[in-house]
Amino acid sequence: MLLEARGITKAFGSFKAVDDASVTLEQGDILGLIGPNGAGKSTFFNCLTGDLKTTSGRVLFEGADITDVAPEQRAGLGLARTFQVPQTFEGMTVLENVMIGAFLRTPHRKEAETRARAVLERVGMIRLADAPARSLGTPGRKRLEIARALATEPKVLLLDEAMAGLNAHEVRLAIDLVRDIHRSGITLVIVEHIMEVIMSLASRVMVFHQGKEIARGSPREVTSNPAVIAAYLGTRAAKAAAGHTPVELMGGPDL
Amino acid sequence: MRRWIWLSVVAAFAIAYPLLLSSPFQQRLGALVVLYAIAASAWNIVGGYAGQVSVGHVVFFGCGAYAAMGAYAKFGLSPLFGIPGGIVLAVGLAAIVGVPTLRLSGHYFSMATIAVAETMRLIVTNTEWLGAAVGLSGPTVPRNIFDLSFLSALPYYYLFLAILAITLAITWWMTNSRMGFYLRAIKDSERAARSLGAPASRTKLYAYMLSAALTSVAGALYAMMFGFVDPESGLGILISVKILIMAALGGAGLLFGPLVGAAILVPLEEISNSWLGGKGAGLTFVVYGAIIVLIARFQPGGLLSLLMRRGKPKTDTSKTDTSKTDTEASHAP
Repeated sequence: MLLEARGITKAFGSFKAVDDASVTLEQGDILGLIGPNGAGKSTFFNCLTGDLKTTSGRVLFEGADITDVAPEQRAGLGLARTFQVPQTFEGMTVLENVMIGAFLRTPHRKEAETRARAVLERVGMIRLADAPARSLGTPGRKRLEIARALATEPKVLLLDEAMAGLNAHEVRLAIDLVRDIHRSGITLVIVEHIMEVIMSLASRVMVFHQGKEIARGSPREVTSNPAVIAAYLGTRAAKAAAGHTPVELMGGPDL
Repeated sequence: MRRWIWLSVVAAFAIAYPLLLSSPFQQRLGALVVLYAIAASAWNIVGGYAGQVSVGHVVFFGCGAYAAMGAYAKFGLSPLFGIPGGIVLAVGLAAIVGVPTLRLSGHYFSMATIAVAETMRLIVTNTEWLGAAVGLSGPTVPRNIFDLSFLSALPYYYLFLAILAITLAITWWMTNSRMGFYLRAIKDSERAARSLGAPASRTKLYAYMLSAALTSVAGALYAMMFGFVDPESGLGILISVKILIMAALGGAGLLFGPLVGAAILVPLEEISNSWLGGKGAGLTFVVYGAIIVLIARFQPGGLLSLLMRRGKPKTDTSKTDTSKTDTEASHAP
């Protein structure tokens, strides 16, 4: 077991954003977290990365309890993440942004630069290495997020809506990149709104609705699950839609 | 290459300055510019690179000034021997103050540092052992060379210049190390920096301690040159403000920014003081106020960043397209 969450609850005051959610992640998995807006998937995600403290429940990484471990130490253990709204280091070049990730594994500037260049080569941004990061548009920033996280040499990479805001063509390029990352042996957790992404990438899917897990299984299984359709479209629409395939209804895969 | 030429020209001028402009007023002015450049460069480490705007930095300045004068007044030693003591005091204080306050962001951190500095000023003002409101004096007549008590400003000028060179070298070394990279990242997005493994609290604390140590050296040098320290000249909040404005005007977060700021503001203050006499002393602060407004409104990066931008060819703003083609190219079959 690489990463495990046991009975995670996160409450803001009396409101439970995540209510008793559990998940296990094996080496080589691509776990998709989906659900309508406000379903609690991002909150759950942030509990895994350590950005939010859990109200109750435990997070285990390679068998060790990391519930109270700070995000920077989780990064050291091999847990990397990207942000839904890119947190680009605006005052730096693209290369320097990636070097921040590379510095986790080496204190030497030259070595960090070499590794960062290799990562930029890998994600296809090497020509932009010396450009100021603030000059990047959304696709570039999203890709830079991934490059930075990769530079920390993670075992698990958590992607928080890494493809939101990209057009269909850019989404396809991003999917290729994620596949390539997976092939290199990195286990992935992806939070995603775009169904095409989940359908074509995830090996397992967990569906959130109002803070609770309502379904899990393969992408095919969950998208044909009536509870999932009802959560996305409402019960009436779900009944009306009985004749269509759920994938079509959720906007995939003809994107 | 052009950078090295500029650097040599500035360095040559700095070395030749007191020989070219050799009146006592000019030499004293030069020494003060260099002294404030040291203090502003020290501030720059935490205020510029780490983005933690300390307005209470004078407290570290005071540590150095009081340690230097205290070494003489209390123990009969050369003020020089007070410098290590001042560094230890400043670093210790920085650690105590930094742990709780560096968690605060933006204005809250600034306000906390003001509170610490003002508290310290009041404590010292009421402590007989530290001379209370009268302060402490250094040696009136130098006993030997180590007392570093000179009539002319010339020796001070070169001493300060050497310390400034060391301060800049330390800053330069830091910006090129992992710590410098982490500081810049933390300044832009602490959350992202931490997610990439940067220990934000520890890195900021180290920067704060380093900055405190160098600021205390500036304080010690200041007290040695003037031969005394009192709560106003050693711990007054206006010194903090001056240091901060110099760094911000020249360019906070740039190696030579504080130098540019000091080279503009110190002469401005000294000249306006000598022209207008005692009555004009307040005018400097009117000018400082105006500078704060102008920096905030027009040039948050400082004057040096303005020059650097003019020196470089304009950066291409259509990078979005480039990124697209680049990713496309790499994924083409």
